[in-house]
Amino acid sequence: MIDQRETICALATPPGTAGLAVVRVSGAEALSICGRLFKGRGALSDAAAHTIHYGWWGDGIDSVTASVFRAPHSYTGEDVVEIGCHGGPFVVDQIIDSLTSAGARVAEAGEFTRRAFLNSKLDLTQVEAVADVIHAQTRAGAQTAARQLAGGFTRRLSELRQTLLTALGYLEVELDFSEEGYEFVSRPAFLETLRQATVDATRLAASAQSAHILRSGFYCAVVGYPNAGKSSLFNALLGRPRAIVSHIAGTTRDYLEESLVEDGYTIHLYDTAGLRSTEDTIELLGIQVTSSLIEQSNLVLVVNDASLGFRHSDALIADIQSRYPTVPIAVVQNKSDLSGTGVLASELGNIAQIPTIALSEQGVSELRAYIAAICRESTAAIHDVLINQRQAHLLRVLIGHLEGASGALAREESPDLIAIDLRSAVRVLGEITGETWNPDLLDTVFSRFCIGK
Amino acid sequence: MFDVIVIGGGHAGIEACVAAARMGMRVALISMDKHTIGRLSCNPSIGGSAKGHLAKEIDALGGVMPKIADASGLQFKLLNTSKGPAVWSPRSQNDKDLYPLFAQHMILSTPGITIVSETVAEILVSGRTVIGVLTEQNEEIRGKRVIICSGTFLNGVLWTGQSCTEGGRIGERASHRISDLLESHGLQRGRLKTGTPPRILGRSIRYEGMKPHNGDEQPQPFSIETREVRNRLACWATETTPRTHEILEEGFERSPMFTGMIQGAGPRYCPSIEDKISRFSDKSSHTIVLEPEAIDSESVYVNGFSTSLPQDIQLRGLRSIPGLEEAEILKYGYAVEYDFFYPYQLRFTLETKAIDGLYFAGQINGTSGYEEAASQGLIAGINAALSIKGEAPFTLQRSEAYIGVLIDDLVNKNTEEPYRIFTSLAEYRLLLRIDTVYDRLLPHGHGLGLVSDHTRRIWERQQEMDTLLTDRVRTTRLTATQATEFLAQHGQDPVIETVTLETLAKRPTVPLEHALRFSECIPLSVLDEHPASVHRVQTGYRYAGYIENQRRDVARFKEFESRMIPEHFDYSRVQSLSFEAREKLTRIQPASLGQASRIPGVSAADVSILAVYLR
Repeated sequence: MIDQRETICALATPPGTAGLAVVRVSGAEALSICGRLFKGRGALSDAAAHTIHYGWWGDGIDSVTASVFRAPHSYTGEDVVEIGCHGGPFVVDQIIDSLTSAGARVAEAGEFTRRAFLNSKLDLTQVEAVADVIHAQTRAGAQTAARQLAGGFTRRLSELRQTLLTALGYLEVELDFSEEGYEFVSRPAFLETLRQATVDATRLAASAQSAHILRSGFYCAVVGYPNAGKSSLFNALLGRPRAIVSHIAGTTRDYLEESLVEDGYTIHLYDTAGLRSTEDTIELLGIQVTSSLIEQSNLVLVVNDASLGFRHSDALIADIQSRYPTVPIAVVQNKSDLSGTGVLASELGNIAQIPTIALSEQGVSELRAYIAAICRESTAAIHDVLINQRQAHLLRVLIGHLEGASGALAREESPDLIAIDLRSAVRVLGEITGETWNPDLLDTVFSRFCIGK
Repeated sequence: MFDVIVIGGGHAGIEACVAAARMGMRVALISMDKHTIGRLSCNPSIGGSAKGHLAKEIDALGGVMPKIADASGLQFKLLNTSKGPAVWSPRSQNDKDLYPLFAQHMILSTPGITIVSETVAEILVSGRTVIGVLTEQNEEIRGKRVIICSGTFLNGVLWTGQSCTEGGRIGERASHRISDLLESHGLQRGRLKTGTPPRILGRSIRYEGMKPHNGDEQPQPFSIETREVRNRLACWATETTPRTHEILEEGFERSPMFTGMIQGAGPRYCPSIEDKISRFSDKSSHTIVLEPEAIDSESVYVNGFSTSLPQDIQLRGLRSIPGLEEAEILKYGYAVEYDFFYPYQLRFTLETKAIDGLYFAGQINGTSGYEEAASQGLIAGINAALSIKGEAPFTLQRSEAYIGVLIDDLVNKNTEEPYRIFTSLAEYRLLLRIDTVYDRLLPHGHGLGLVSDHTRRIWERQQEMDTLLTDRVRTTRLTATQATEFLAQHGQDPVIETVTLETLAKRPTVPLEHALRFSECIPLSVLDEHPASVHRVQTGYRYAGYIENQRRDVARFKEFESRMIPEHFDYSRVQSLSFEAREKLTRIQPASLGQASRIPGVSAADVSILAVYLR
């Protein structure tokens, strides 16, 4: 059992060397403990709520700012002091040491948020959103998670739950008073309600993949036959030499990963080992790593050596398409200046082709813009919610129950059978929003925090 | 010195004393008048939607209500057969003269029960433990356990129009001091009301034009021990008219309900006719069913016309109903208002938390209905006996029985109106079907010593038959030609491959019985003798997906029930719980987080907070 009365402290910003860092202190003693250590113009313990003070910490540890929040109007709902100091492990460690010797204790992972939750400052989906903000790697991701903190997601699902609960209530009345032969729920209207709910849930679940892109970034694998110029292109995209480039086929073993930010999106680029073709069979299977990279990618760039012909990589493209039909592919016609014709061969199905000359910048900026556009397209499904993996899983379970109920309804089953799926659907919705209690949820939610939150 | 003292000989009291006595206890059954033991004080009927489930469960646990209902039954019907198997529920019309006679016979023939015709004045408590009762004759009766099954007799007041008399039932006295004494021990009481319709003279009814309500063509008994039951009479349906509603409305200003003289909350589910008229004002008529009360009686129960309106209004109202133009009233409808004790003050064994050894069963816990009362009497009687023997208590969970749902609801959800069981209250109702009742509960009843070896063997034979049938269904194959011929008989498309009966059993439109007959995989005489087994096996196949779904839900439920909260947990330490949640949790002291999550006013957020706090 955790003791809520203790005052806790921890570094709230990422560890390591940085310009600034924030140490957060929360609990009933936060003001008095900090008041003893902080030397400013007035006593910190008398400071008004939501004020910021400049002064020295301890015996000249650092010059700091102290932001004062008073219960219940703070993140945790307790008295909170946030100490802004200069970044770097040395200063931060000294501040935390001084706090612990003055009576605070170092917070456990997720303890600030847990207290916020215990003090009813956040509901569970908001707690999850906090975790998402911490994990969010992209600007768009952080924005959506912030909106979720404001509770929009919960509201949408609560409305859906309420609709289903009402329908369930009427079905039960039909059963309880079946001797009187009432039919309170018009079946076609009910089917329509379920259909709409399924559409909503499907739309939300579909945004899970886009949400993943927002949270973790966009994955883009660069593949192609050996010596097609993958590594050169990789370097050009990054704008700096990272991969070793040589003319010897097979220079890149395994793969390289680098990230770039384009138009607010984090894009993870993977430079892969060349995929060889021996006679007619392609040695794809032999290169397991590349194979799994392709599978997880949001976009696969097939680099074709155009000097050998625009259709030189067709067999490879066809193979990737047949193995991973859902993965989007674009063909980079590299060395297009060296191709004899100078004109792109017309048809490649509906696969996009971008001509580049890797050793120059020509075409690379277009390629970047193209990647960013695909990225924007695949996240367009998201409006105001950010679905994490747990929620996506529950939404899929929900859809199963909604379809079960629709099916039973269409087969004109008795209300008691329709009710089984409907009850499960209501329960699952409640689990997503936190209206239905589920112990596993807490474990997963609170396990995702780092110390300072 | 008795082991167990049971106060009251209604449906709860009967089960309590018979169960305790069969478990070897010396039992005193105290009743004001022994001739009133086992009366059907309201409608002459047992079972009905969800109530029939309770009656079957009582049978599987070795209780007596189902056997008395079979013996005194006049008509038997399985309700809701047009709905899914979860809500099929048996109901009987019963002879209100015979029912108490069979009940009394049951008690007299059970060794160990002494009937004491007395009125209890006080419950004797030493410290926090019950030690017996004091009668109005100032006689002390000592007992180790006391079970109060007082029905509506605690401060009972009867109302017809504005005239009121004290009493628990028409013509019977009420008990007074018991309530005050229990309250002085810290038990919180409330007030409820219930009503009953008028009884009219059979020969004054004109039945022409009314719709008969007949029993089933093949009537089925409640009890596994009963071989056969027969339908002996029909009931008749008519309906109220707009004129009826006008007449009754005239009397509203003199109705104790509308003038506020009755304070107790009435049942929403068995509303009086005045309630129905004022609440469903858009309906111009309500169904009335005329139920003969006994074979040898002219008295007819007017089901659907429960009322406490003044007598002149009752008579004029009734006579405006088609067929009742010349009806003569034998007994006017009345309402009774009585004390109950909030059931959150009970353990799952129905022992009060305030006074050790004192148990409550039936209307004193705020329930309505014979079956609800009998279920509680049985559980209280069993646990009183077990505790004397020093054995572990016997309780049922929501996932096991409707009785479990009933008691769990009583303890967790505070009733503000009389509690009646419904199938919708049972989350796992597809598993709690009447056809699974013996598999679920009979081993318990046998283990407790309430179900005889003989009865257990009847059940075992049923099980063997189920196994045999399942085996045949799984292994018997029809060739494509045979199957196509069979399916054609049921208007279904042909098949091109061999099929097992199992495949056919899953089709909703093909009765398993027909497939079994067609395939001749089992002698027809065997099928004829075991229709229940065929039905059970068919249900298992047809609803396999749903059943599996519910089993998974039960597994989750059990997991939540296993997240324990320490005993005497101090909820005031968890400041972040809502005020209401803290108050309710403190009062009810749930044993697990699962139980806590079912308490109204305790939100999922509260339970989560508690879960976070407890880890």
